[in-house]
Amino acid sequence: MTKEEVQGATEEGQQGPSKKGLKKQQKEAEKAAKKAEKQAKLAAEHQSTEEDDFAKDRYGVPAMVQSQQKLDRALVRVQDLTPDKADQLIWLRARVHTSRAKGKQCFLVLRQQQFNVQALVAVGDRASKQMVKFAANITKESIVDVEASVRKVEQKIESCSQQDVELHIERIFVVSQAEPRLPLQLEDAVRPDGEGEEEGRATVNQDTKLDNRVIDLRTTTSQAIFRLQSGVCQLFRDTLTKKGFVEIQTPKIISAASEGGANVFTVSYFKTSAYLAQSPQLYKQMCICADFDKVFCVGPVFRAEDSNTHRHLTEFVGLDIEMAFSYHYHEVIESITDTMVQIFKGLRDNFQTEIQTVNKQFPSEPFKFLEPTLRLEYTEGVAMLREAGVEMGDEDDLSTPNEKLLGRLVKEKYDTDFYVLDKYPLAVRPFYTMPDPNDLKYSNSYDMFMRGEEILSGAQRIHDAQLLTERATHHQIDLEKIKSYIDSFRYGAPPHGGGGIGLERVCMLYLGLHNVRQTSMFPRDPKRLTP
Amino acid sequence: MALRELSSLEKFLGLKKPNKYSTQGDKKVPVLQSNNGAPLVGLVTIACHLVKEAKRLELLGDSAESRAVVQQWLEHRVTKLDGCTKEEMKTILKDLNLYLQDKVYLAGNQLTIADTFMYYGIHPLIVDLAIQEKEQYVNVTRWFDHIQHYPGIRHHLPPVAVLRNRIYTGRHH
Repeated sequence: MTKEEVQGATEEGQQGPSKKGLKKQQKEAEKAAKKAEKQAKLAAEHQSTEEDDFAKDRYGVPAMVQSQQKLDRALVRVQDLTPDKADQLIWLRARVHTSRAKGKQCFLVLRQQQFNVQALVAVGDRASKQMVKFAANITKESIVDVEASVRKVEQKIESCSQQDVELHIERIFVVSQAEPRLPLQLEDAVRPDGEGEEEGRATVNQDTKLDNRVIDLRTTTSQAIFRLQSGVCQLFRDTLTKKGFVEIQTPKIISAASEGGANVFTVSYFKTSAYLAQSPQLYKQMCICADFDKVFCVGPVFRAEDSNTHRHLTEFVGLDIEMAFSYHYHEVIESITDTMVQIFKGLRDNFQTEIQTVNKQFPSEPFKFLEPTLRLEYTEGVAMLREAGVEMGDEDDLSTPNEKLLGRLVKEKYDTDFYVLDKYPLAVRPFYTMPDPNDLKYSNSYDMFMRGEEILSGAQRIHDAQLLTERATHHQIDLEKIKSYIDSFRYGAPPHGGGGIGLERVCMLYLGLHNVRQTSMFPRDPKRLTP
Repeated sequence: MALRELSSLEKFLGLKKPNKYSTQGDKKVPVLQSNNGAPLVGLVTIACHLVKEAKRLELLGDSAESRAVVQQWLEHRVTKLDGCTKEEMKTILKDLNLYLQDKVYLAGNQLTIADTFMYYGIHPLIVDLAIQEKEQYVNVTRWFDHIQHYPGIRHHLPPVAVLRNRIYTGRHH
């Protein structure tokens, strides 16, 4: 190296730090400038917040409602917001379904069960910028108290249930704030599956819905389904009470398995074990022997079947009927079918809103039935199946696919979704079923179907202790275990029969849904015990 | 299988004397030993020969075009249909359904042996179809039901039940 170069190097060395230093200084200066800018901006905003918020007391998060005061304030229901309330100032409490800010306005959709209405906060003499910002930031699903004036709208608001009005908000308070991250979005939960696929939008799968049932139940579809289910129970009770039936309650903790030992839950009962009732069968019959003549009961039924299908639950609600009859078990069939028809009519006439709401997400054909109800004999059903190419024996039970096929054939031939199949083969029915008097192959038993799926299994019961003992022995049932059951027929028992339906299955099939978990509020199946 | 088809064909044609067939190869290709020299090998060849023998030439097609179509379908039967897999079966049925959309018979306006042998060949597939699938391939089912009821065709095959009305009309299932 020459002297100059060395010198150059030293000079560079001396300037080096200053060059780098310069760069560093520049960066720091920029950073500081940015920070100062930000602070100034915040300060300015803060100032403006402080300055301009004339609407400070017309919005906010008040103290938690701990029943501090009794306010004499009438809250209007969203479903009552109609044009005849135009220009009235009202209070209401609803959930924030969506909130969207657009410049100086914030559009909210307020929801109450199946009904929703559009609401608007606009910067003006009633609302400040800060209030609009507050409204836009309220998290979805929060519960709010709103004072607003009802205004008629020129153009119908298609996306809301209340299409002719909108609310202009004067005051808005958050009564209960929802956490910002919801486990599922309600709009996604209500989206029909096909639409989701087509437009690439999300839908929520069933397991997620069931895991977060509380939120899923808030959707319009769920609200409609369970209101309809409540209607079924009510119509069942009302119709039977009018027919002179008495409602009874039967025990669910029992000492012996009623339908056959395999599918029963065992519970520990002090020093021994007991079982959860698979059906109220035995107790219904004992009530008939106790002269209650016509009884029904609504209660849980527990089946420990490891069936993971679209139509099985381990716990479901059973609607059971039992009645004494005079001379022929068809009197029982007529009573049951008439009850079902009254239920169908009641649903058709009083729950159209709910049915249409469910159909929006789950389209289906309306439920059809005949009056009087169609009753086919088992042999006729088998003949129809054979005509369609199915091979089966005279005494074979119907498999699920054959039941469905028969349902379709019946629908095509008679145009009904509801029918009774009478005179089942004796071999496939429980031991307490009364055999046919004229043909030992068959029995006085029947099944009822909705949309090709079985909803009720019933029969004339054996009311003679001796015959009952014979049939139980034939089925190899331990007589000791059913001693008290057989005893109830030893002291005079009237001829009787009945049947039981599953509430969830009936709702599912009436609405044309495809999974019984949709009609069970908190379903139980072999894989699900919570919520 | 092929031998039974040929004997059914003979009965249909009203040939008095049933021929004696043998088979060759592991695909059991039928062989007809004829009196004057060369043996006839192959289902299609023998079938055409029998038709000519019975002087029912219209069964081979009544115009040049339909004769060609008949040969095409016979070829299709032996090469594509016999021994097809499940996936191929769907395509075959779909194509046949589309083809039969505006036709009563496979070739021309009357029965030909194209219909006969396609019927024999497709029978095992149709037997296994569920009612819903039969409704899906509605033209194939219509043609099939027509041929199986044609006097003298069915013989060695069991009838397949075909419902007159559709039962899967709903939007779902």
